[in-house]
This record gives sequence, structure tokens and C-alpha cells, in this order.
Amino acid sequence: MKRYQKVINNIDRGLIVTVLLIILVGLLCLYSATRTVNPGIFTKQILWILLGSICMIIFFAMDYRILKNIYWPLYLITLILLVCVLVFGRDIAGARRWFTFGQVSFQPSELAKITLIIWIASYGSIKKGIQGYNIRDLAFPFLIISVPVILILLEPDLGTAGIITLIATGIFLVIGIQRSSLIAILSMVSVSLPAGWLFLKDYQRKRILAFLDPSQDPLGSSYCTIQSKIAIGSGRLLGKGFLHGTQTQLRFLPEHHTDFIFSVVAEEWGFIGASILVLLYLLLITKIIYIGIKAKDRFGALVCFGIAIYFILHVFINISMALGIMPVVGVPLPFISYGGSSLLVNMMCIGIILSISWRRFIF
Amino acid sequence: MKPRVESIPIEMEFRKKGILLLALVGVLFSIILGRLMYMQVIKGEYYAGLSRNNRIRIMGIRAPRGRILDRNGIVLADNRPSYDLIAIPNDIPNIHYVTSKLSRLIGLDPKEAAKKIRKGKRRPYTPVYLARDITFENMARVESETYELPGISIDPSTERDYVYKDLACHVLGFVGEISKKELDAHRGEKKYAIGDLIGKSGIELECEDELRGKKGKKIFEVDAIGRRQKVLEESIPTPGKDVMLTIDKRLQVIASDALRDRTGAVVAIVPSTGEVLAMVSKPGFDTNMFLGPIAPEVWQKVVNDPMHPLENRALRGQYPPGSIFKIFVALAGLTDNVIDPSKEIFCPGYFDLGSKRFLCWKRQGHGDVNLKRAIIESCDVYFYHLGKDLGIDRIKAFANILGLGRPTGIELPNEVSGLIPSQGWKLRRFHRPWQKGETLITAIGQGYVLVTPLQIAKAMSAVVNGGFLYTPRILASDSPRLEKQLPVPRSYLDIIKGAMRGVVEDPHGTGRIVRDPMFSIGGKTGTAQVVRKIVSKRSDEKDIPYRYRDHAWFVGFSPVENPEILVVAVVEHGGHGGSIAGPVVKDVIKGYYFIKELDNEKISKGNK
Repeated sequence: MKRYQKVINNIDRGLIVTVLLIILVGLLCLYSATRTVNPGIFTKQILWILLGSICMIIFFAMDYRILKNIYWPLYLITLILLVCVLVFGRDIAGARRWFTFGQVSFQPSELAKITLIIWIASYGSIKKGIQGYNIRDLAFPFLIISVPVILILLEPDLGTAGIITLIATGIFLVIGIQRSSLIAILSMVSVSLPAGWLFLKDYQRKRILAFLDPSQDPLGSSYCTIQSKIAIGSGRLLGKGFLHGTQTQLRFLPEHHTDFIFSVVAEEWGFIGASILVLLYLLLITKIIYIGIKAKDRFGALVCFGIAIYFILHVFINISMALGIMPVVGVPLPFISYGGSSLLVNMMCIGIILSISWRRFIF
Repeated sequence: MKPRVESIPIEMEFRKKGILLLALVGVLFSIILGRLMYMQVIKGEYYAGLSRNNRIRIMGIRAPRGRILDRNGIVLADNRPSYDLIAIPNDIPNIHYVTSKLSRLIGLDPKEAAKKIRKGKRRPYTPVYLARDITFENMARVESETYELPGISIDPSTERDYVYKDLACHVLGFVGEISKKELDAHRGEKKYAIGDLIGKSGIELECEDELRGKKGKKIFEVDAIGRRQKVLEESIPTPGKDVMLTIDKRLQVIASDALRDRTGAVVAIVPSTGEVLAMVSKPGFDTNMFLGPIAPEVWQKVVNDPMHPLENRALRGQYPPGSIFKIFVALAGLTDNVIDPSKEIFCPGYFDLGSKRFLCWKRQGHGDVNLKRAIIESCDVYFYHLGKDLGIDRIKAFANILGLGRPTGIELPNEVSGLIPSQGWKLRRFHRPWQKGETLITAIGQGYVLVTPLQIAKAMSAVVNGGFLYTPRILASDSPRLEKQLPVPRSYLDIIKGAMRGVVEDPHGTGRIVRDPMFSIGGKTGTAQVVRKIVSKRSDEKDIPYRYRDHAWFVGFSPVENPEILVVAVVEHGGHGGSIAGPVVKDVIKGYYFIKELDNEKISKGNK
């Protein structure tokens, strides 16, 4: 009994409460954004949250160190899924990103984010350069990461490929890279990008530019940004009130239940509501980093930092896009944007973090 | 490997990095909070105003199309400023009121306009083009009543200007508003939107990608009744690239004048490169007619005109080549060693094959003729003999080597193939076997054979330039494209060229009318029978000719040694080839020399 009590006490309840609060805000917004157009989305999201909670509990209960032993199988499964989606995936608007089973669809590139974090953390905890990694140490992981990134680029999904690259870069910076190697890499990248551009044929450049342009309609992307800015700005200090955001309810705002859901929060709940949400994210990320610092082993710490970077990038890029300080790229807002795969992966991450946090008290 | 590694206190190692990461998070989140504060608290009033009646409108700005130039840089298709009448569907509270007012002001069809606006309601803030290129007066009328016309605005734009009206209209083509079908064809390329202009024919269609340029856009704020207040964001359109043609505008004018208002086509080409210097098709149309609001009646009239003014006869007109074809049959005979050029054949004025009698155009007969004489005087009987000896298969094979029976490959759209008949073709088409007599008729270029003037220009160029078959081209940016070298010995080509010189210079030549004391000219006449005996049976309603006179052909080149120019002219229902089409070709050749002299003078003046 006493032992059981101790188990409960050592769970990071603050983290769970933070996540639940974020999820609650998300559900309210999703309801507001979709109730008139597509009420089914709200119910589906609740089911995803339940499924996600089960995932979270499983990963919490499981010793996270198992992950370190199966990082190769995880990586290979991810690769197989990414290849399969290119072959069997459903073609939606010219991209093959989803497996579809009836009403449910799943996006393997979301899963790739967490499995790659686990792979890098395992690699980083096994092979360690005393003075940090040099270029030769990085060649192998570079190869390993570029395979799934290229597969995702083929879907095509530039946003996800980009974010995975950024996450990987972030973790390696945390692990440590020798200064001279870092300078060499940076100069290589800054030279090869424009040089590569020069060597491209004109039609290839056009294709790349068309590919980089994420909007279907030639005038669409700045329309989204402007409508999003109006939605956010017009929320002012206190917001227009729940279910009263005109931009949202009159459907001026496109993609308001996925990529632009932050605008819904800001319009209906104002500066007060939006900054509370931002602070909740800040709390979540701070907690994850803290758990990383306190972790008992190198692998656990690196996984924490990886997941923290994952959340930082998603939150910052998504909100900046809604605020019009970044170009429009399809990056979901964690726990809030509608989308099952991303939610499952987010909950999985929290489960792993809880496991790392809890187990530091045992050994 | 190094067990020591795992035992290093993790807390020490990652504390510093964790704190650095936290600092980064602090910075990033401060940016977000600062920006939120700025937008929602400081600029909140402004955005609240924008949202009250959602006052943001976004609109594409048309890019000026690239110009089309002749080989000397003279502008054939230009741009001029114009005004478009535009509606934002959502800003029009009473469609009927607005459209009837517009109809009173500038005579717009109110039903058509109302239909367009209602259709646009699905995308309520996307502008609908009510009328392109309205006149200055109409623009002023609309502007003066703008308070009475919510949601209606005038947009400055650019419009095509075909400087010389109908000159080279078939080559240039024209532009028009993109159709539903074209929009579907380009779906997914992110190039076009409703209301965009697109090349519909000629160079405008062929070079659409270069000419189009890239649209700009303007995002602006409107007031409560949709009038523009302030531009929030603007990106300048990128103009399209200019396209330079091989056409010489001056020669084009000369060729057009030479054909006068007769129906037909003229092609002038540089035999040694394939460059097209002039391409005329008549009747034509004033390309400017298709700009702006085109009335459906006008369009119907043009499309249903029995003279088909929109067709470019130089590459879409299919005619029997008549005696011009004899040149190719003669070459086939020489190459396959079927004839000895010096051997004479007696022409009594007819040729009997079985029970059928085939006549020569000269009823009293030519007497004894060799190959050269047969070409000069265009003796049919000689070629009946030759055709019979060659057989249709060899005639067809040689015609195909010369590029007949398939499009020439010029950089213009919708070219046709013409037709070189064969035994298999007739069986497939008519389910009847090939008749020997049909070979004879084919040998003199009548019957089923069909060619376009451009095909003749291409094939004849190869005959007179020493056997090099070039793809005709009309874009100055392309380099000469040699398709193949004819498998014909040079000496045979020289025999034919000599005979063609005789056509013009010999006292008995059929093309004597073209003779000029100043220049050496070679050529061949052709008179294509319009549909009698054989062909008329297969004609359906559409193919029945409006007149029954023969088509007149002439192909001429000059100078005979190293030809610089080759001209093909066909005059529909013109009658006899030499007397009708010959002078057209002569005018163009003389015009060519005149222009050359003019240019030489300019150069020598420039040197001084």
C-alpha cells in the first residue's frame, strides 16, 4: 500500500495537468471552429484524445530504456511505413501522406518525428565524443536521417521534412559538435545551397519554387495570412467571446481547425486567453527540459531534450505563421490542431517523458 | 567501449545545455507574446475595424505580355494601357440595380453581367471581369457614378495591340479569356485563374509560356460599400518575355499585297536554313477585333464564315499539289534509276491504260519529250509513263522522305499532315483496292494527294539547296534544324534545277510569266483540279467546294545557283497556276531583292 502511494506521489502531476489544460483549450476551439461546418470532427478528436491517453499510459508504464534497445527496429518500421505510404497511400491534392482506413487516416511522417528522436538519442548515448562530435562522427547519422527525410520530401511534404531536419540538428547541437566541425559544416551548407541553385536548370528552379509555394491558389497564401492577422488582432485584449469570433464563424479564416487554429483562440479569447495558452506551452516545455536535466541516464536526457525541441519548433512555427511573421507551412499546433496522428505522437511523447521523470526515483 | 562515459554525472553535463535551451525558449516565446501584444492591444482597434465588415480584398494584376517582334525588331504585337470593368460579388447588394445601371451607362448586357456576378458568389471576394478593355468614355461614365455602383470598379490593365491589324494575323494568333476547358487542362500548375488571358492560336498559343509573364497582386482595404481605400500590399507583375520571329515585316507586307484579296496562301522561306520570311493566309482578320468585349454575333460570324478566315492556310490548307508534284516524282524516278533523263517519250496528247484514256493537259500532244522538256512544258503523258513504271509504293516512299504526309514541325500549333495515298490507305479508307489508273493521277499530283503550302516550301527547299531537308522555323531564337540529307545524287538535283530554270526561262516554259531580266529565277507551276471524278464521290456536305475552278500553284526560287529565297503561292480557285500564282511569287522575289538592296544601302551608309 505504501509502495503504491509512493508510485502515485512520484508521478509528475503538474505535467499531466498542463497537458490536460492545453487539450481542453484545444477542444473548445475546435468546437467553435467546426460546429457549423463539420461537427463530426469534434467527436473524432475526442476519440483520438482517448486513444492518445491510452498510448500515453502504455509508454509511461513501460521502462523507457527498452526504447534504447529497439531503436534500430523502430527506425526500420518507420522506413517501411514511409515507403508504403508512397506506394499505397491515398492521393489527396497531389500528395501521398496518409494511410486511410474508412473514416480514420494516419500519417506516418508524424510517427517518424518521434522514432528519429529515439534513434538519435540512442546513438548519442552509445557513441560519445569527449570533445563533441566531429564531421566524421556525424556522417553516419546524417545518412540515417536523410533517408526518411527524402522519403517525406517525395510525398511531398516539405514542412514535415524541414521540421525533422531542424529537430535532428537541435539534438546534435545539444549532444555537442566540435567547434571547428561546426564552422566547417555551416560554411559548407551556406556555400552549397546557392551554388546548387546556380547549377540547376531553369525549369528545375521553377519546379522547386512551385514546390516551395505551399498554396494551391496563386493568391491564396497571403489571403490566409491576412485573414489570420485580422482574426488575431481583432480579438483585442479580452476577445470576442466563445463562439463569437466573426472571422472564424463567418469562415473568412481558412484551415481554421488545423493550421490556423491559434487564430481562433486569439480571436475568441483575446490577448488574455492567447497569452495564457502560450504560457501553458512555456510551462510544458520548461518542465520537459527540467526533467531532461534531472534524468538519470544519458539516453533519457537526450530524449527529453529532443522532445522539448520538437514541441518548441511546432509551437513557435505554428503560432508565428498565424501571426504573419513566418511563411505559411503546414505545421500543426500540438494537442490543439485537429489531426489524429499528430495527437497520438504528442501523447506518446508525454508518456515517455512521464516515464523518464518517474523512473529517476527508482534507480 | 568506454564504460566511463555512462558514469559521468548527467546533471552536470546537461545542466548548462538545458539552461541554454531554456533561454532560447524564453526568447522565442517573448517574440510571440510581444507580437500578440502589438497586434491585439496596440493595433487591436485597427484590426477590429478590418474585421467588422471584413474589408480586405485581394486582386491579381495582369502581367503585360511579352511583345512579338519581326526579325529586325519591329514590333508586331505590342501592349497598350486599357481599363477593365470589375465586380466584387459580395459587395453588390442589389445585382439587378447595378447591372441595369451599367447597361444604361455603357450598354453592357445586363443578363450576361448578372449571370457572371451570381456565378462569382461562390467565391464572394474574388473579382469578376465584367468587361475587358472598355473605352475611355465608358470608363469616365462609370467613374462618375461610382457612388451608385457599389462593388463595381475600374482596373487599369494592359491589352494586346496588334500594330499592323491583320498583317500576319495567322502567324501571331490572338489571345482571349481562358475557357473552362483550358482552365481544367492547366489545373494543378498554379498558372491560371478565372478571367486570365491565354494565347488561343498562332505564336500567342505556341509561345504562351514565354509571353505570359507572372501575375502580380494587390491586397487592399475597401469601405463599407466596397470602394477601395488603401493598398495594404502590392507585388509588381513580371512582364512576359519578348519573342522574335524570323518573319520580315516588309516582305510580309509585300507578300500580303501580292496575294491581294484573293483566297490562298504565300510562304517565303530561306531554302538553306528553313527560316520563314513571310507567311500569308487569306482571307485574314483584324486581330484587334478579338480584344475586349467580343459580341457573340461577331464571333459566330467569324467562326461560321464559309471562307474560314481563322484558318492559317499555309499550314492548315490541304490542296492537291498538281504539277508541282512532278518534281518529286521525277526525282524518285532518277534516284531509283527508273528513267534515263535523256531518253525521249512520245506524247500524243493522251495515254491509254486498259480501256481508260488519260489525257495530257495539251490535247494535241507535246511530241517527243525528255525529262527536262517534260518538266518545262509540264507534260502529263511523260509522268503517266513514269508513274506507271515507279508504282504508287515508290512514289509514296519518296514523298515521305521529303516530309510530305506529315506536319513540317514548324513552331506553330495545329499543323495538318496532308495526305500521300498508298494501297493500304485506300483499302482502309474505302475498302476498295488501289487502281492502276490512280497511280497515274497521283504521278501528276492530282487525285488523293494533299499537301500544305508549307510542306511544299520545305520539300522544295531541300530540292534546290543541294538536298538538305530543314524543318521550317519561325522563331528567331531557334537554330536551323537539319532533318536529313536526301538520298539523291547531286547531279540529279542539278538536272531538276536546270529544268525548273527552264520552266521560267524557256520560250515554251509554263512559268514564263515569272521571267525577269534582272534575276535568275527557277520554278514550277501547278494547277490542282478541284474535285472532279474521283474525289467528289467521297465528299460529304462540308467538303463540297464553293466554286469549281482549279487551284493555282506556283513555287519559285532565286537565284537558281545558291538560292536565297524560295516562295510558294497558292490561290484557291485561281485557275491556271502559271498565270495566276506565278506573278504573286514574282512580286515576292522582287520584293526580297528590293529589301536586300535597301538593307545593303543602310549598312554602307552606316559604314561611312
